[in-house]
Amino acid sequence: MAAENPAFVLRKVKDVAIEQRGVPKLRSDHDVLVHVAQTGICGSDVHYWQRGRIGDFILNSPIILGHESSGTVAEVGPAVKNLKVGDRVTIEPGVPCRRCDYCRQGAYNLCADTVFAATPPWDGTLQKFYPVASDYCYKLPDQMDFEEGAMVEPTAVAVQICKVADLRANQTVLVFGAGPIGVLCQAVAKVYGAKKVVGVDISQSRLEFAKSYGADEIFLPPRLEGDPVEASEKIAAMIKEKCGLGDGADVVLECTGAEPCIQAGVFAARKGGTYVQAGMGKENIVFPITTACIRALTIKGSIRYTTGCYPSAVDLIASGKIDVKRLITNRFRFEEAEQAFELVKASKEGVFKVMIAGVE
Amino acid sequence: MGNQNPSFILESKGKVKFEDRPVPEIKDQDPHDVIVEVKFTGICGSDIHYWQEGHIGHYIVEAPMVLGHESAGVVHSVGSAVTTVKPGDEVAMEPGIPCRRCVRCKEGRYNLCPDMAFAATPPIDGTLARYYTLPEDFCYKLPSHVSLEEGALVEPASVAVHVCRQGDIKPGDSVVVFGAGPVGLLCCSVAKAWGATKVIAVDINDERLEFAKKYAATAVFRSQKESAKDSAKRLLSETNLGGGADVIIDASGAEICIQTSIHALRTGGTYVQAGMGKDEIVWPISAMGTKELNVKGSFRYSEGDYRLAVELISTGRISVKELITGKVKFEEAEQAFHDVKAAKGIKTLIMGPTA
Repeated sequence: MAAENPAFVLRKVKDVAIEQRGVPKLRSDHDVLVHVAQTGICGSDVHYWQRGRIGDFILNSPIILGHESSGTVAEVGPAVKNLKVGDRVTIEPGVPCRRCDYCRQGAYNLCADTVFAATPPWDGTLQKFYPVASDYCYKLPDQMDFEEGAMVEPTAVAVQICKVADLRANQTVLVFGAGPIGVLCQAVAKVYGAKKVVGVDISQSRLEFAKSYGADEIFLPPRLEGDPVEASEKIAAMIKEKCGLGDGADVVLECTGAEPCIQAGVFAARKGGTYVQAGMGKENIVFPITTACIRALTIKGSIRYTTGCYPSAVDLIASGKIDVKRLITNRFRFEEAEQAFELVKASKEGVFKVMIAGVE
Repeated sequence: MGNQNPSFILESKGKVKFEDRPVPEIKDQDPHDVIVEVKFTGICGSDIHYWQEGHIGHYIVEAPMVLGHESAGVVHSVGSAVTTVKPGDEVAMEPGIPCRRCVRCKEGRYNLCPDMAFAATPPIDGTLARYYTLPEDFCYKLPSHVSLEEGALVEPASVAVHVCRQGDIKPGDSVVVFGAGPVGLLCCSVAKAWGATKVIAVDINDERLEFAKKYAATAVFRSQKESAKDSAKRLLSETNLGGGADVIIDASGAEICIQTSIHALRTGGTYVQAGMGKDEIVWPISAMGTKELNVKGSFRYSEGDYRLAVELISTGRISVKELITGKVKFEEAEQAFHDVKAAKGIKTLIMGPTA
């Protein structure tokens, strides 16, 4: 009889429950089975729960949620060389096909056949055991605990955003959004030698946290009346003036997906600057395209992570350059998973990163 | 009665033989594999080198190994997960299988994979046999108007594509290629296809230069016995390169050519090392530094190179037919190796076994 494997399942929209599943089998000789220790909750998990889809990924059948996890290796396939049973690891939750043109050219985050935890139809990590390719598991140095291990995923997202932005030392970096991704981008930019990091948000408390974290300066945009695009342009001018950004920031990292922020970001970039879209909001927005053109901006999208991001993220945390513990505000036992999700959904002030412990 | 997979094998340094090996089969755990019936195989300098010296660098022939890696053939059978080719399809074969799991593979530079399994690099068997197995994504379907003979030239053409990518050749560039052997000639052809307005082939052999001029070079330059600096000066003046070429490719491996290249590049120009000769040479490092040159190596090919080579041939932007100067039967393989060693012709193809 298969050992038990409790799992937190999204059965259909707004319907979650803990179910008993079989222990997952290793899918190839290169797989390992991880006994999951901690899982952070991401906005995308909440979105699938509440709306049942993100873009073309549609919930058609039940999936186990969760993708930001760490744990202990419980079993290794016969071809595994980099890990052994007992190793403490962080899990990179998207394993690509390795054979398509995108994979072969080093852009595996764009592989259409990626098996990504908790993206329909794939099961996620909120179960006792999770199978994953061994090269998508990274050992945790002794000084990192499992909670920090579960924070590697969003940190890797921030590392990728900064990689896409091609950040260099001594640049000015303007980050819209002071949620987990926004503040992690601010912290990574700072570690990478940014001359000045500015954080923008509509929440005063989040901004104050950002100031204590990676941001050198913060800005709370006022509510302006009149034409929305003109308002965004005014906000951009205020940011540039108040935060000493001159003609504009060298780099803008947009981590909210909110239309006014996207517009302000374009207006606040310096001529020849770089703008990276990381946040996800409305699929189509009003975009200041002439400004982007005349000011010769480089505009890029950023999604998930690529080679090197996970090892960099582990190093940033293990070396103490980024303190991810400070981002964790609430902790729940596995049995309380639904409560944890409700808390994230409620978006209360003071709630930042919520952790769910694994099954013992 | 036998295995029915006749193979041309390097037994040990200097000794080749024919042997009937088992016919490969698709394994259950490799559903992406394809078995190709090899029809044409070109001979490369590296094949000759292993045959003559028994090693290249630290790759040593320690056990009998099938030779050959520049091949095209017809798909014989496919694994259960294969979707892009079917039995009967004519394909160019990319002969190096990377691990797909290491950092180099995942960052898009699989040619640098430390666990690369490359045909006819010890200990991996090559393609001079009736059948060869490789994964689907390393088989490239040839359009119907591209012959299998041309298919066998896709490998060296891919080398040239990779070299030119390393050189970042752009429309309007002036490019010099040292060495008018197959790789050098193909570099000229690719550079031209990519919009280089000056493509200059350099060699010590008049016949090769004649061919290069008719083939893809806009001008040629005959090396003489002179210092590298003098040679560079003469090159720039004879071919109107002004202050120097934008990109220089060395496809010769010869020390004097490598030195001349550095002196013949304009400030800020790009140098690509494609040829392989002496392991260590005397190098004009001051000139390289003060001229702020970009110096790059080039090794085999990686993502996109094979596909682009097939497309360049298919659309007529590069032509490879002229490079095929000999075609021999499988049983005559050893003689073909001797001919290539004696520098006869440009590219000799060995046909797949028929009997």
